[in-house]
Amino acid sequence: MKNITIWARRYVLVYGIIMLCTFFMCLLFNPDSELPVVSFFGRIMVFALIALLSLVVYYAKEELTVKAWWMRTVLHLLVLEAVLLPLAHHWGFWHGGTDILVYAGFILLAKAVWHLMDYGRNAKTAAQINERIRKNRLEKGIGKE
Amino acid sequence: MRVAVEEIEKGFEEEVIVRCYDKNAEWVEHVREAAVGALSVCGWRENTLRWLKLSEVFYFEVVDDRSFLYTQAEVFEAKEKLYEFEQLCTGSNLFRCSKSMILNAKKIDYVRPSLSGRFEAVLSNGEKVIVSRKYVADLKRMLGVQEI
Repeated sequence: MKNITIWARRYVLVYGIIMLCTFFMCLLFNPDSELPVVSFFGRIMVFALIALLSLVVYYAKEELTVKAWWMRTVLHLLVLEAVLLPLAHHWGFWHGGTDILVYAGFILLAKAVWHLMDYGRNAKTAAQINERIRKNRLEKGIGKE
Repeated sequence: MRVAVEEIEKGFEEEVIVRCYDKNAEWVEHVREAAVGALSVCGWRENTLRWLKLSEVFYFEVVDDRSFLYTQAEVFEAKEKLYEFEQLCTGSNLFRCSKSMILNAKKIDYVRPSLSGRFEAVLSNGEKVIVSRKYVADLKRMLGVQEI
């Protein structure tokens, strides 16, 4: 149940990030666009699902080293670009030569935002833990063990 | 705190029951040590066997199917598998921190986030180890971090 909640939360987060990117893409490059609401939202849901499924590239039996993590991160980006770009083209989200660069750039940006949010959340957790460690030491009236 | 001592007849098994708010509290460990002796594990180093108290262990790691115990400044080879050591540590300050490591929470100096989505724990001897996000909830519970 806990795992389902975690993945559901991730799905909503990815969906939100894609929607934000789409908003800015349209705002900058196609402010007059009129989207068919149902099919558009449905397609974004498919994008979010693909983005989540592609996280399988991070799966490893052993703990990933930092270098291995970076390699998988690059691989993940390539997988996202390779799957989402043709699909987006098929659905008419981009057409010309410049479009593809902009779209690829936004996929990169969305991935960067995902990792930054992750980092921010972890920074908050780390601060909570460090505060608790500090308090525990003070309560015991000792310095470092 | 109330201390109750009950006298029992011969033939019954002697036992110590501790009712506490935090089973990882230091005084609980002291009671256990007084009752059954300190939990210890044996480690090998240069063909010599040494018994190590769990509280001396900084972390336990499995590398290429071999198990190692790390103390302040020494490394010992151990016979236990990861899951066996994990069972041995139940109720102690050691917790599973990644797929191949069990870490002593008491030896953590501080933690910091890593770009890889995990945490880096800096230990009191200066060593740095990785704590997976999957297991960080256990560390928070162990330290008594309140969820906001």
